[in-house]
Amino acid sequence: MSKRTQLSDEELLEELRLRIKKSKDTLLQLQQLNKELQIVNKKLSESEALKSHFLSNVANEMVNPFSSIMGLSKAIMAIGPNDFEKAKPLAQLIYSEAFNLDFQLTNIFAAARVEAGQTNVEINMVDINSLIRSVLEAYDFKTKQKKLSINLHYTTDENLANNFFFPTDAEMLKVILSNLLSNGIKFSSANSKIEINAGIVDNELFISIRDHGRGISPEYLEKIFDRFDKGNKEINSINEGYGLGLSVTKAYLDILGGRIDITSEVGSGTLIIISIPRPKDIEPEGFAFDGNEFIFDEGDNQTF
Amino acid sequence: MTQELPSHYLYPAALFFSKEPYLINTILGSCVAICLYDTTLKIGGMNHYMLPFWNGQGLASPKYGNIAIEKLVEQMLKAGCSKQNLVAKIFGGGEVIDAGSNMFNIGKRNIEIGETMLRDLGIKIVASDTGGKLGRKIQFNTQTGAVLMKLIQRTLIPQNNNR
Repeated sequence: MSKRTQLSDEELLEELRLRIKKSKDTLLQLQQLNKELQIVNKKLSESEALKSHFLSNVANEMVNPFSSIMGLSKAIMAIGPNDFEKAKPLAQLIYSEAFNLDFQLTNIFAAARVEAGQTNVEINMVDINSLIRSVLEAYDFKTKQKKLSINLHYTTDENLANNFFFPTDAEMLKVILSNLLSNGIKFSSANSKIEINAGIVDNELFISIRDHGRGISPEYLEKIFDRFDKGNKEINSINEGYGLGLSVTKAYLDILGGRIDITSEVGSGTLIIISIPRPKDIEPEGFAFDGNEFIFDEGDNQTF
Repeated sequence: MTQELPSHYLYPAALFFSKEPYLINTILGSCVAICLYDTTLKIGGMNHYMLPFWNGQGLASPKYGNIAIEKLVEQMLKAGCSKQNLVAKIFGGGEVIDAGSNMFNIGKRNIEIGETMLRDLGIKIVASDTGGKLGRKIQFNTQTGAVLMKLIQRTLIPQNNNR
């Protein structure tokens, strides 16, 4: 107490300066928080708008393919007995329309399950090589349409070279890869290359996809995982889909504990790398009934 | 007796509720899990969220506390639970160093949103073990409402990349 009365002018000034600085800092923090709040507000209202846009979008994206499927099937039915050759290109068109519908529906349902918190994860040993090849095969007709060439490479730890298995959820990984490949194909320039590299390094599965397409602008790159956002709005008519693919991809990677990194340059293409850590301490399906043994041994646990 | 219950492993960003009795297991670092239990119907559910608020990024999923809590309560009320019979137990929110995360105090903020929302909903928190520097394994018996917990070293915690 007695000390306080003996404060010199300098000390007093110093204390004052400190306090003024403190309140300035608080103010700055508050301003920062306000700014963040504004951004969030804007995002939420944008998200609302995009959601209603999504609903009107569903009409187009569903109704148009169905009417062309029906039209094309009718055309096939009308083909005379000697003209069956003509059916092939029509059937290809039907396949392509149905394929797109199937893909979009998969994403919509996946997004709905993620938002409900009801994504079912089933960890199994997955043959990564055959999974990638099956996805590539499914997109074969699209890569042919655009005359793209796809190069597939593997980099793995030596002892894994012949045994490319990784414990993960096959269905989820398939959805992730389909979305990345579908985007890669959609935004590639015709006659260009897509390079895919996959491997297991340090207990992490990584897969990279590089395309040589139009690339992504830095402004859009920031919002790329937002739902219903499709980047360039002027080209909606060519840019089919709902803008759900990458948000589903990101959400699935979150659940699997993985990461996604996107680097892109407008005009020269995009490189996307995903990595998924080997699941630790997560029960493989089939051992699920041993819950007690898996988590708790005698003694050192607490009950609440 | 508990050995006979089916068990469910709850992944981050998911939630689980069933009218049937279950053992729900999960592992927490900076994430928070809220176990809700209806003391009359003797049923329960759990969520497991990674971040406090949905900020318009990505999908509006139970990865975010505000959505995870809302959805779990909603599901339980739909199943016939009444709010005054619900009790909550909160776990997690440790200060686990997370290589992929650049968020400050994420564990603390996760705990905070959980406590605030439960208070606003009028749901009593009857037990909790939060904060600290270690991760946690928990197992929720939705038949009895009991939660077993064990502290674990952070190396065992699945690395969740929050961003």
